[in-house]
Amino acid sequence: MIPADNPWIWFGLTLVQVALVLMGVMVSLAFLLWGDRKIWAGVQMRKGPNVVGPFGLFQSFADFMKFVLKEIVIPDGSDKAVFLLAPLLSFILAFGAWAVIPMGPGWVVANINVGILYLFAISSLGVYGIIMGGWASNSKYPFLGSLRSAAQMVSYEVSLGLIIITVILLAGSMNLQTIVSKQAGGFWNWNVFGGGLHNLPLIVVMVPMMVIFFISALAETNRPPFDLPEAESELVAGYQIEYSSTPYLLFMIGEYANIVLMCGMISILFFGGWQAPYPTGFMAHWSPTLVSLHGLLWFAIKMVFWFFMFAMAKAIVPRYRYDQLMRLGWKVFLPTSGIAVVLVAAYRVFGPGA
Amino acid sequence: MTFAARASQAIKGAALMDFAGAFGLAMKYMLRPKKTVIYPNERGPQSPRFRGEHVLRRYPNGEERCIACKLCEAICPAQAIVIEAEPRADGSRRTTRYDIDMVKCIYCGLCQEACPVDAIVEGPNTEYAVETREELYYDKQRLLDNGDRWEREIAKNLELDAPYR
Amino acid sequence: MPIAKVNGVEVEFEPGMTVLQVAELAGEEIPRFCYHERLSIAGNCRMCLVEVKPGPPKPQASCALPAAPNQEIFTNTPMVKKAREGVMEFLLINHPLDCPICDQGGECDLQDQSMGFGRDGSRYAQNKRAVEEKFMGPLIKTVMTRCIQCTRCVRFITEVAGQPEIGLISRGEDVEITTYLEQAVTSELSGNVIDLCPVGALTSKPYAFNARPWELKKTESIDVMDAMGAAIRVDARANAVLRVLPRVNDEINEEWNSDKTRYACDGLSRQRLDQPYVRIDGKLKPAAWAEAFAAVAAKVKATAPDRVGVIAGDLQDAESMKAALDLFGGLGVKSLDCRQDGAQIGARPRESWLFNSTFAGLDECDAVLLIGSNLRLEAPVLNARLRRNWVGRDVKVGVIGEQADLTYAYDYLGAGPASLASLIKARTGFAKILKDAQKPAIVIGAGALAREDGAAILALAAEAASKFGVVVEGWNGFNVLHGAASRVGGLDLGFTPGEGGLTALDQVKKGGADLLFLLGADEIDLSATDAFVVYLGSHGDAGAHRADVILPGAAYTEKDGIYVNTEGRAQMAQRAVFPRGQAREDWAILRALSDHLGAKLPYDSLAQLRVKLFAEHPTFGAIDHAPGSTPAALDLTAVGVKGEISDAPFASPVKDFYFTNPIARASVTMAECSASVAAARGKLLAAE
Repeated sequence: MIPADNPWIWFGLTLVQVALVLMGVMVSLAFLLWGDRKIWAGVQMRKGPNVVGPFGLFQSFADFMKFVLKEIVIPDGSDKAVFLLAPLLSFILAFGAWAVIPMGPGWVVANINVGILYLFAISSLGVYGIIMGGWASNSKYPFLGSLRSAAQMVSYEVSLGLIIITVILLAGSMNLQTIVSKQAGGFWNWNVFGGGLHNLPLIVVMVPMMVIFFISALAETNRPPFDLPEAESELVAGYQIEYSSTPYLLFMIGEYANIVLMCGMISILFFGGWQAPYPTGFMAHWSPTLVSLHGLLWFAIKMVFWFFMFAMAKAIVPRYRYDQLMRLGWKVFLPTSGIAVVLVAAYRVFGPGA
Repeated sequence: MTFAARASQAIKGAALMDFAGAFGLAMKYMLRPKKTVIYPNERGPQSPRFRGEHVLRRYPNGEERCIACKLCEAICPAQAIVIEAEPRADGSRRTTRYDIDMVKCIYCGLCQEACPVDAIVEGPNTEYAVETREELYYDKQRLLDNGDRWEREIAKNLELDAPYR
Repeated sequence: MPIAKVNGVEVEFEPGMTVLQVAELAGEEIPRFCYHERLSIAGNCRMCLVEVKPGPPKPQASCALPAAPNQEIFTNTPMVKKAREGVMEFLLINHPLDCPICDQGGECDLQDQSMGFGRDGSRYAQNKRAVEEKFMGPLIKTVMTRCIQCTRCVRFITEVAGQPEIGLISRGEDVEITTYLEQAVTSELSGNVIDLCPVGALTSKPYAFNARPWELKKTESIDVMDAMGAAIRVDARANAVLRVLPRVNDEINEEWNSDKTRYACDGLSRQRLDQPYVRIDGKLKPAAWAEAFAAVAAKVKATAPDRVGVIAGDLQDAESMKAALDLFGGLGVKSLDCRQDGAQIGARPRESWLFNSTFAGLDECDAVLLIGSNLRLEAPVLNARLRRNWVGRDVKVGVIGEQADLTYAYDYLGAGPASLASLIKARTGFAKILKDAQKPAIVIGAGALAREDGAAILALAAEAASKFGVVVEGWNGFNVLHGAASRVGGLDLGFTPGEGGLTALDQVKKGGADLLFLLGADEIDLSATDAFVVYLGSHGDAGAHRADVILPGAAYTEKDGIYVNTEGRAQMAQRAVFPRGQAREDWAILRALSDHLGAKLPYDSLAQLRVKLFAEHPTFGAIDHAPGSTPAALDLTAVGVKGEISDAPFASPVKDFYFTNPIARASVTMAECSASVAAARGKLLAAE
């Protein structure tokens, strides 16, 4: 799709694509944030934001203006450069990951072959933003928060990696576009169901893997019930204590961009990404743009569903204790996903589809 | 804990039974009507016995009701009321000073219970936030002005509550 | 002793007791309004109804019914309860629902007893009666609709005060308490009717609407308005003394107080000295303590000790006088005096300046000779005590001095010393009465002693005493009545001129002393002196007016202090409020001044001062003990100095009862009383 012959055109087009993705993600984040708050409010029998704009739809933009217009407070004794760099790093990394996310047939900024590894690497780097922020604040609670965060992210990345391996084993590729393409033709081809009818027995492995991936994603993004790094009852606001105004905003956007990214990853890895849950043979003579928009719509629907699940998890599950968090990660998820990798690999080698 | 119990707990946990239950409950409540009152535009119902900002009332002829009996001062558990009195020019017993420290006040309503002439009353007003602490030290004039402002509502509330007194 | 049964419990009682008193002995509380221990029995409120067996089948008024042997008294039967409720309901029929605006609220007998013994509601729907307010002078405020006609006020003013100015007129529903022709009550004890009134009909006018009893901090203290040292309770709110009430002390004031004691308290918040002043270029300018002390120290150092004079005033506590004595005595000053009026007294033995019979002793004596004393003005409560004995036991009273209305009849024997001399020689008349009396007493007032020939008159009185057997084994009736609360304390301390020292009156003469240190002395004429005057005191009165340096001290309600009354009874006064502004307790000022003078006093606290005081003068340590209660022998020949006696008549030192000290002079209420009494006297004279 990208004409690679002229580097300037390629560069210009990529820039436009990057801008489009950035804009798209930012705007959808604004409404997802609003939705997030509406969902919690609904569970708690409140109305949630309903003043700014119709149904309070523009609340996020009002909040954005508020954050931007506030004074940036930098604590005395903080490492100023690192203090300001930390949220920026979080923000950039969160959006950098979106480069490899396929949003429709052929709709991806950088269709690289090791996309899944790139994703994994970028999300692992995210911990640096938090550690830097907590350390640079030169304050006890932020520091404790960032330490917790580092340990937590490292712990859950291990099982995340193993789960991803199961998906790679099913798809036989690390290119996200390929992984999505493999799941075409109906919901029974989605990886959560084993990636095709011939693999249906793997459903007993992949459904739990999907669940574990979801839970690990919660932990990886510091979402409740695993928001220990910013546990307000213990650490006030964790690594974010000293942040205000735009730096804080960057942290927040980065965090939510990560959450949405995780929603996208679940969709791509387990639920066919932009693939419709039904056979798409009837679209053979549709224009490619229309087909891509149809894919984008399904990708959006799946992401919104998973974001809804993220919001519900926050609304209904009480916060874990730190030792419980660690136990779950190391003693439950790691062995389970390890066994899953073995099972899937065995099935691929010895199973009927081999 | 027996092995069976542990196992059943583990299975329940692995099957996300708790999560599913909570999810169902959350969905149920999400669809229910909301209790939120959009405050400055909507207001919740207020009992006639509501204890808000204090007022000092007057008789219909404009004479202040308070007779400086100091029962409110005596009963006030927070000792927020200070009264000084002396005979007025016409010989009647009136206060020369009636201060309420609204910061000390705990809004228990004992002052209005103690008042033999319904002079000190906690009115329905709750919107008297101010910017400095000093403004919450109410003096007699402030309380009397409050009384003039809220007399209609207070009279109605007292009338509604009268059968239960 | 006979025995009666109260609610089934046997009680022994003295013959002549009433049923009410017997019930009290048994610990039963009988509600009452009209009955009062120190007044005659009226029996008109009917609140004290009890059931008595044997007796008529109806409730009996226990206050008026003498108890009989083997009587059965019931105070808790249904009949008694119903009777009390009925009486209460009748009393409340015409009593207005005034409690919230009534000054008696919170300390009202009617309130308390209707809570304790009354019904919960009224069945009376008709019009209540209303009574016009009466004018009773500047002290008593009347709200006559509240009156329940107990007549305690009438009985008090008639029986105790001896001036029947209040009475009950009309009858039935129209009955009213009023003063004679609605004039002000002129009795010096009129304030007591306010305490006696069980309801809010008679309340205190100066205190009207000022405070509720529950807001007041109550401090038990000692009065200094006269030399009796009456027991008082000082009621203060914040840092202001609002009222002074009597405490019961049967040895001294029983239950009464003079109006001056009671109402001069508003003078405690007027004309006060609340910071030091130094006179610069003829004008008093506010100064810091250090400046004032420096000014005093400079002057003291520049003046020879024999040119320094120290005068203690009438309201001084023993501690401050002791501190002044230690400080100036240590500097070699000889001219110290506590006798502003120039009374010629103070030479040992101690009994020569005490009221040896004690006040309670007057209840036993059967003839009293008053020499140079207008008892009614100098000690009104003592006068009421004497009057009670005159009424009850027909004590014979003779008077040499002013012929004033003492509220009882007396034999007037003359105006001056000559009359005393002729009395000694006489064999008939009052001389015979004195001679025949078992326990005769002589009271020598300040009017007889505060004159040039005072010592000789004292000697003459002593001669009379020995002639009439006033001092015998087990009885000492030789009494000196002082006018100043500090006098006996000062004399006990030896606060009198030493060898070569000048008396107070000599110090203030022109060329008397070069430096005068006035310790609250305001009753002395300072017009002649050209000395540098340092005034330590509480009020801006005569002394402060003339002073070159003013050191603000504490009034009697603002310091802990020991006062010795005219009986020689040392009593402790307690601090009720703190001194005003920068003012400090007097002894502390003297202690601070001693630092500046380089003659540091050896005590840093009042307790240390008292230890030293008690060690050097043991009589001050005998708190609340009157030496006269165990009569000591007195060598009458050693009392006074025989000498020339002029024939001038005795004159009472009290010109105006309401203006005898700086506190009273600063009081607005006292000024109103003085004016009101003067007006009433004027009217009477015109009418007569």
